[in-house]
Amino acid sequence: MSLHNRIAVLRAEKKLSRATLASSVGVNPQTIGFLERGDYTPSLELAFKIAEHFGLPVEAVFSPRPFRTLSEQVYKLHKREA
Amino acid sequence: MNNVNTNEVNMNDVNRERSWFWRKIGFWFVPVRAETLGPEEWAKVRKMSRTGKRRTRRLLFALLWVPVLVCEIAVSLRVVRLDPWAGLMSTAWLTVLLGLWVRSLRIGFAQVSLEDRAVMEYGAQFDALKEKQRGEVFQRAVRDGLFGRVKVDEHEAERRLQAQAAAYRLLGPALVAFITGYWGVCLFGPFEATRSALAVTAVVVTWLAALVLAAPTMIRMWTQPDEPGETAAVAE
Repeated sequence: MSLHNRIAVLRAEKKLSRATLASSVGVNPQTIGFLERGDYTPSLELAFKIAEHFGLPVEAVFSPRPFRTLSEQVYKLHKREA
Repeated sequence: MNNVNTNEVNMNDVNRERSWFWRKIGFWFVPVRAETLGPEEWAKVRKMSRTGKRRTRRLLFALLWVPVLVCEIAVSLRVVRLDPWAGLMSTAWLTVLLGLWVRSLRIGFAQVSLEDRAVMEYGAQFDALKEKQRGEVFQRAVRDGLFGRVKVDEHEAERRLQAQAAAYRLLGPALVAFITGYWGVCLFGPFEATRSALAVTAVVVTWLAALVLAAPTMIRMWTQPDEPGETAAVAE
C-alpha cells in the first residue's frame, strides 16, 4: 500500500532544503526525494521523526488516502467558523 | 562582492595558464586542494558527480556490464590455454577489477551529491561556498567514496535487499540451466578420455548449486525466533 505525504508542501512552507531535513532525521537527501515522489514508504520510526521535525502529528504528514489540498482545507475551516 | 569577482577573475586566469593535460586529465589524479581547481574543473567535477543520478545512464552502465563480463571470460579462457597459472592470475585480477567497479557503483547509490553535502556540512549552497570549503567538500566526497564510508539508511538498505532478492530469483533458474547444460556436455560431449573426470566436476558443481539455492532457507531456519504464544489474559 502506498502512503501519501505532505513533506514537499511542509518543506516549501518552512523553506527547508532536502539536505537539511535529511540531516536532521538521519537519512540521505535522496531518501527525502524518493519519499516526496511517493517511490518509498518510510518505516514507522522515520515517519515519526519527520512528523516530529515539523511539530505535527504523524497523521498530518502521512496518510493512506490522498490528502486534500491545504487551500481547500483552510477554506472549509473558514467556512465552518463563519 | 568585489572580492568575489576578483577571485573569480583570478581563478579564470589561473585556469587559462594551465596545460592542456592538466585541464583535461591531470586534475583528476592530483589530491585536490582548494587552490588547485579552477571554474572549468569545478564544472567537470560537478557534472561527473551527477553521472549516476540519471536512470538512462545507469541503464547504459548496466548494459555495458554484459560485454565487459564477456571480454573478461574470453581473455581468461585464452590465457588459461597458454598457462593454467597465468589463467588463474589473469582471472583473479580481472575479477578483482570488476568487483571494485561494482563496489564503486554500489557506493555511488548511497553517496550524497556535492550540492547536498554543501548544505549538510556548511548550511549553504555549493556555489555560495568559498574555494577552500568547496575543496573540503570534494575531498571528503572522494575519500568517503574510496573507503566506502557512505550512509546506508533504511531506504538504501531496503533497495539493496530488493536487488539481492531479485538477483537470487534469477540465480535459481540460471543455475538449473547451467547445470543441465554442464551435465549434457559431460555426458554427450566428445571427451571419451576425460568423461569420468568431468562427471565428477559436474557432481561437485551440482551440489554447490544446491547449497547456494538452499542457503536462504537454511539461514532462516537457523535465525528465526520461536513463535510467541498468546498472552495469558487472552488465552483460554
